[in-house]
This record gives sequence, structure tokens and C-alpha cells, in this order.
Amino acid sequence: MGRSLLWVLGLLVLAALLSAPSWTAEQPYVLHMLVLMCIFAIPAVGLNLMLGYSGLVSLGHMGFAGLGAYTAAVLMVDARWSFWSALGAATIASGLAGVCIGLICFRFRGHFFMIVTLAFGLLLHAVMNNWDEVTRGAAGFAGIPRPRPLQWGDEVISFGPLPHFYYLALGLALLAFAVQYLVVRSDLGRILSAIRQDERLARSRGVDVLLYKTVVFALGSALAGVGGVLQVSFLRVAAPASFNMLESINTVLIVIVGGAGSLMGPALGALLYVGLPEWLRLANEWRLVIFGGLLVLITLFAPAGLAGLLSSLWRRLSPPRGGSS
Amino acid sequence: MGEVLLEQLINGLMMGSVYVLVALGMVLIYGVMHVVNFAHGVLFTLGGYLGYFFYHRVFDSYPLAIVLAVLSLAVIGVLLERGVFRPLTGNLRNQVIASLGLILFLENLVVALWGPNALQWKVATTEHWVQLGELRFSLHHLGIIVVTLLLVTALGLFLKYTRFGTAIRATSQSQEAAIVVGIPVRTVQWSSFALGCMLAGVGGALVGPLFLVFPQMGDVPLIKGLAGILLGGMGSVPGAVIGGMILGVTESVSTLFLPTDYRDSIAFMMMVAILLLRPQGLFGQRMRGED
Repeated sequence: MGRSLLWVLGLLVLAALLSAPSWTAEQPYVLHMLVLMCIFAIPAVGLNLMLGYSGLVSLGHMGFAGLGAYTAAVLMVDARWSFWSALGAATIASGLAGVCIGLICFRFRGHFFMIVTLAFGLLLHAVMNNWDEVTRGAAGFAGIPRPRPLQWGDEVISFGPLPHFYYLALGLALLAFAVQYLVVRSDLGRILSAIRQDERLARSRGVDVLLYKTVVFALGSALAGVGGVLQVSFLRVAAPASFNMLESINTVLIVIVGGAGSLMGPALGALLYVGLPEWLRLANEWRLVIFGGLLVLITLFAPAGLAGLLSSLWRRLSPPRGGSS
Repeated sequence: MGEVLLEQLINGLMMGSVYVLVALGMVLIYGVMHVVNFAHGVLFTLGGYLGYFFYHRVFDSYPLAIVLAVLSLAVIGVLLERGVFRPLTGNLRNQVIASLGLILFLENLVVALWGPNALQWKVATTEHWVQLGELRFSLHHLGIIVVTLLLVTALGLFLKYTRFGTAIRATSQSQEAAIVVGIPVRTVQWSSFALGCMLAGVGGALVGPLFLVFPQMGDVPLIKGLAGILLGGMGSVPGAVIGGMILGVTESVSTLFLPTDYRDSIAFMMMVAILLLRPQGLFGQRMRGED
């Protein structure tokens, strides 16, 4: 009974998201925020797979998003590739970078792993900031196009108008969540969870720990890349500041506040991250003060995040099952 | 060429001193609590802002402003240790994530209170110039190097020859053994944390007048401090001093050969290289935090 109610609720949310352009017709700003949520949620899904499910705390996640974003930018603007092939190439590029950098980072555990991922994130940012000939340097890479219109028989879908771009963002976000679901519910997900809980035990049971860590690092980085491409295509400019250390910390924030190791965590985190400041009508400078404080409080008092709080609330409200508890 | 090299050497020693102050604090905290405090950079920033505040609003004396800023940081340090790091003992992931939260919280609190723009903090020592033959540098450069030298010496003597210093070293070596012989480990932990925060505060208050006081002023010292620690060996106090100095001098001298844009990247590459080639660092004995 509780489970079917959850399904109904999920379908309602999905229907609301799909019909968003019609109920937000009066306020296009809401749609704008929904697109931003998708842009933040996609890299967060990648980080959730790494941090939440596999216990790999990467502090340079947005560096990979930047790598994907700049790959796509160069391919679309300088090589005149279409959005779709550039998206594919950028996803592969950030995934491959994840494999290479991951293989170096996995030589370390604990603090050292975090510090090395931080260093690589900073290194990637330094390249974006300084390699003027290719990335246009600190001023940003302007003139990135929205995807070209798709022709489907007589039907032409262009991505210029906000509602159309919204469907693109929503589609990619749903895809990311679908990937996350498939990974978590598969053997791969169980292996990753075993590695998170006790790496030595997993290894002694014959799990090739290095292989699976590399796989999840590559997957997470590739998802970060998808988020990066979507972001620069939406904003039409790639700026190194969108992929710096603070942005990587913000992604950690979204994952942790939403609920690390929870399927809906990144969505809840992105919703709160984009929605709460608007709802409270906060001045911009107080926004991150509140979120920083919130992040500390969550680690202290609710380590399972918003998703954990909601599910314990759900358990308390739903009637006890059968006779035995 | 000779003077240019010497000038960069002085610059490097000055920057190295700043890195050493940050690195020393992190090493002390890491030693007794086994946690890398990623929020150490914003404590450095707070040192700069509090020094600026005390100088302009309270007393018109630079040394007094530094002392007040450092004392405030000691209080902040105790509060952070008690309120955030102590309750999360044993949970490395959450300690690190909480320190990330502190970065966001404190850095943006500074923006909310003082605005996002860089503040100019005018102190007389930055205008005084020291002339040594062909070489010319500000008194402030010399001041930073001398103050750091004094602090490092004092800290070294304190750790080596006092009872409490010995307790800190014992706790860093083995917490269980320290408890067994009756060392008040909790007191050691909060006071080392406060001491580390004070060192970061000194760094911020010293650098503030030379460059500018701005919300991100602690980001670079954090990274460089981390690099210095890794270079010197995690948990080694002399290692942090030598690692920070090597980094500062290498960076400054490198500007003679490399474009300055890539100066900061030297630290990142050094971090990755040292971890790959000699993970225990130049002076570290064993690798800790490995689980």
C-alpha cells in the first residue's frame, strides 16, 4: 500500500515536470529555474554514484564537467560539429579523463584521495583559465550555440525557445537518473556498495576493487561532462569560474544535503539549492552562508540528508505493516 | 640577472613563510585529530578581515590588531573543534564534508559582512623600503619572514621542551598510548586546533596589508599549505616548514622561466608528483590516514 502510494506520487511529479511549460506559461522564470535544477542535478547524480554509493569523495568533480563543456564548446564553435555529436564526444572525453585521473587517484585512500582529486580539479581549472588559444582564457568562451533544430518528417523542433530547451534538459536529467537507477539496482551497484562498506573484505572475496572504482569514476565523470555541456549550451558561454573549486564543493553540497546514497537525493538537493533562495527571497550573498551552515548541520544531525529525513517521516506516517512490526 | 634572482628569492621566502604558517596549523591539527582541515584557508581569510577590522575600527596599531585577530581566531577554533569536529570524530567523510560546509559558510559570511570587493589595508611597513646594495624590498616582506622564523622557532621549542608540547607530540604518535599514560587527549586536541587556527590567523593578518583583503584570499594559501605538507610529509612539523619554504621559493624563482599564469599550477603538479613518487613526503616516516 505504501509502495503503490509512492509510485503514484512519483508519477504525479513526473507528470508535473512534463507539463511544466504549460503551468509555468505565466512565469517563464520558473521554467528557467527548472532548467537550472536539471543542470545542477546531472553532475550531482554522477557524484552521488561516486560519493554516495561507492564512498569515493571527489573534491574536483566540476573540473570534469568543465572538461566536457570545453570539449563540446571547441567542437561546436571551432570544428562546427552538431550539438549531439559534440555532446557524445564530450561525454566520452570526460569519461576517459575520469579513467586516466582515477587510476592515479586510486593509488590513495582517505585524505590523500581527496587531496589528489582536489589537486586535479584545480589543475583542470587552471588549464581552462590559462590556455587562451583553445579555451579563450578567463574571459570565458562565448558564442556557444543552442542545439540546431531537429527535423522529424514535417515536424521541426528547435531548441531556441525556453520550453523546448527545458525538454532537452529534463530528458538528459531523466536519463541520468535512469542510469543511476540501473547501476544501483544491478550487480555493479551491489559491488560498489560492498567496496564502500569494507574495501578489504570486498577484495578478499575476489572483487576487482580497482576495476570497479575506475568504472564508477569514469561514469561519474562522464555524467559531470553531460551536465557541463548542457550548462554551457544553455548559458551560451563557458566560463572557467563555473568549474572551479567552489563549484565542486557546491556539487558535494547538493549530494549531501539531498541525501548521499539515495536515488532521489540529487534531485532533492538541486531543488533545494535552486529553489530555497528564491523562495526565501534571499540576497545572493546570504544564500551560500545558509547552505554552508546547512551542510555542516546535515553532517552533524542528519547524515542521510533530506532523502533520509523524508523517508523516516514516511515510515512514521505510514500505518504499521501487518500484525508484527 | 643576479639581482632579479635575489629579488625573487626574497619574494619566495616571504611567500614560503605564509605557506609555512598555514601548513603548520594543518599539520598540528592533523597530528592530534587525524583530520585535514580543508577550512583552514577561510580561517586565514578571517585573520585578514579581523585584523583589518581591529586596525581600522578599534586600535590604530598594527601589532595590536594582529594580536586581537589571532586571539579571536583561537576562540573560533575552540568553537569549531567543540561544535563540529569533535562530534564527528571517527567519521572522516563527514569531517571533510563539514569542513567544506565551513568554507562556504565563512567565505560567504565575509562577503555578506564586508562586501565582495577587495579592501585596501594601509600599514606603514609596506611603504618602508629596505635597500641592500642593488636589492630593494619592503620592510613588510622582511617582517613576514622574521615573524614566521620567530614563530617556528618558538613552536619548535614549545613542542620539544615543554610538558604540553610533549603531550601534543605523544598524542600525534599514538592516541591510545597517550590516553593510557594519562595525557588529557581532549584538552590537547582542542588546544592544538586553536593553536592551528591562530597560526592561520597570523598568516592572514600578515599578508592582508601587502596584497589586499578579499574573500578568496585564503584559497591559494590552503592549496599551497596542503602541497607543502604533502611535500614535507604528512604529520611532520619540520616537514611542513621545509615543504612550505621549498614551494614558495620554487614558485617565485620559476616566474623567471615560466609564464606567471602557470605559477599556481606548480603546486598542483608537485602534489601529484610527490604522492606518486614518494607518498610519505621528504620527511614523513609512515603513511597515515590510510583507510
